[in-house]
Amino acid sequence: MKAVTYSLLILAMVAFGFGVYRVAGVLKTDSGRVVRPSSTTAPALPGTMYVAQQGALYRFKDGAFTQITDDAGWTQVAASSDGSRLVAVMRRENYSDVYLLASNGRIIQQLTHLQAQQAEANHWSFLPRFSADRSQVFYSYDAKDPWATYRVDLAIFALADDGSGAAVQWTVPNDYTGGDVDALPLQGGGLIYTKYSIDDKSQVHSQVWYSARPGQPGRALTQPDDNCLQPALSPDGKTLAMICRRDQLQSTDLVIAQLAGTNLTLGPESVLVHGQLSASPVFSPDGHTIAFLAPVQPGEAFQLWTVPAAATSSPSAAHPITQNLGLDSSAPPAWIK
Amino acid sequence: MGEFAPERVRDRSRYRPELPLPRTSRIIAGFLLAGLIGLTAYFLPVLQSSATPVVSSGGAILDPVAGPTTPFTVLLLGSDDDSKFAADQYNTQSMILVRVDPSSKQVTMLSIPRDLWVPISGQQGVGKIDTAYQTGGVDAAIATVQQNFQVHIDDYVWIGLKGLIKLIDTMGGVNLVVTNPVMDDFYPADINTSSPYGYYRVALLPGPVHLDGVHALQYVRSRHGDLRGDFARSERQQELLLAMKAQAKHLNIANLPDLASAMNGEVKTSISLQRMRQLFAVLDQYNASGIHRVLLDTPYTSEGFAGGQAVVFPNWGLILPLVHQTFPQ
Repeated sequence: MKAVTYSLLILAMVAFGFGVYRVAGVLKTDSGRVVRPSSTTAPALPGTMYVAQQGALYRFKDGAFTQITDDAGWTQVAASSDGSRLVAVMRRENYSDVYLLASNGRIIQQLTHLQAQQAEANHWSFLPRFSADRSQVFYSYDAKDPWATYRVDLAIFALADDGSGAAVQWTVPNDYTGGDVDALPLQGGGLIYTKYSIDDKSQVHSQVWYSARPGQPGRALTQPDDNCLQPALSPDGKTLAMICRRDQLQSTDLVIAQLAGTNLTLGPESVLVHGQLSASPVFSPDGHTIAFLAPVQPGEAFQLWTVPAAATSSPSAAHPITQNLGLDSSAPPAWIK
Repeated sequence: MGEFAPERVRDRSRYRPELPLPRTSRIIAGFLLAGLIGLTAYFLPVLQSSATPVVSSGGAILDPVAGPTTPFTVLLLGSDDDSKFAADQYNTQSMILVRVDPSSKQVTMLSIPRDLWVPISGQQGVGKIDTAYQTGGVDAAIATVQQNFQVHIDDYVWIGLKGLIKLIDTMGGVNLVVTNPVMDDFYPADINTSSPYGYYRVALLPGPVHLDGVHALQYVRSRHGDLRGDFARSERQQELLLAMKAQAKHLNIANLPDLASAMNGEVKTSISLQRMRQLFAVLDQYNASGIHRVLLDTPYTSEGFAGGQAVVFPNWGLILPLVHQTFPQ
């Protein structure tokens, strides 16, 4: 009996020691830990949303995430306004291509074919968006400069949504800046996007830019020192949401401004979210809410957030929808009815 | 006397008390001991790294300051330590002087261009400053910086490519804002490969991101597609340092074993673990407004050719007053 008691006590002590070891491990901060969206639920949002995480696309509807593609480097999904078609990027080591997908993730057509044998002969295509009438797909593409092999600047091109014909170059990037991204085709036929520049003091600036026609130089909608990027347009086309870095390195501002007149002038900004690392905003189908991506805790991976799209919103009005997903912050959510 | 001895033995045997059941205090002591063994096992990597100093053979010329209350200067060195190079015969692709002033809570980071054309300590003539470490180890790198920039260096930290990747992954990645698209068609594919002269394409899109170790390294190592070349890379290295500082703020003592394991053999420093903990405590109190970043681009330097290679010429007439101002002795 005593032997059994001693044995049990010794076993309990060993178990306790092992438990202390394990508990010490549990106490450590593990900010890189994320789960698949399909293994979790979240508060429901109106309509349907598409997001990207670690090479796969997910549909978020009625509070549940459904994986709609395999894990094959998928990212940056955008939806047509009627929700029947998606465009998304499949990214591989040296290249990426834009694909036309059905709403269930089935591949309908590969729109670009940018793979090449030599590493430097490959091309990138990023951040595709449908034109308002869905007849075209706008995207960023790195046209090569045969006289400067180190120059890799993205420019915005438009391609017919069936991939036919030659792509039309809309923007001319500033040399050796990385180029133009975030294509946002307008209902009236123009284009809003983000342009990068480097001034004579070697400072990098990002500005939200407007071009009415392909090849036209266009003009800036925001100031260089505001360092705004990732524009999103409300469904009625009257409000622009964007991320402005200003001179911050560890946080950004999510701002909205009215876009007025045929000349598209930008009104005063209202900061909706300040002091967080906000990224990739998108309007809800009714225009009343903005979804964006940001860490819940500093240093953590990016989660889905929402904030009312009203200039009177207090900073505390923003709240996270997910907690542990680690969404691709360079892939704006697509939000449709 | 002798005749009683067997009797006593017998008596002892006969009257030996049965082992009592452990008393409560003994049971508690047993559990405490077991818990202590569990904790020791968990923190073993930390204890090992303390017992085995990470200080390299170099650094002998250093004269560290007494404590974290007086200003001190650390030289951060980053090297391509892939198989193209013989062991510990690396160039320092990144050299950043960091001055921490605990009393005013100011931090200054000064990036030294890797191609800066300067007299190298222990050698005849001049060369690129990034060759000092390759030819004379950390002592030569420190002495070269001290002599040319007229600063006193208290400590140094050297890290290689894999070390940086492991460190950032162990920290759970870093969050930062990519300021413009980082595009590079000739990024070296020299890690975990038998062919270190290969390359692949890199594209990091702008905006806020959470980067793992591999992508963070791409961010600070890529230089081909940016108008500012190596200066852009230096700026991004400073941004990564700030991001790592921010990330370190969220780690706790339970993360130390993982960090010690990640840094084992991948990081060399003259800073003891104890002093490292003090430094983290000091840095924890700093905010962005107290951090100053200095790059030695035009007019402090100019690009040109010397010794049959592209180099960066220093304008000491401008650099030294700047250094004296930002790194006062």
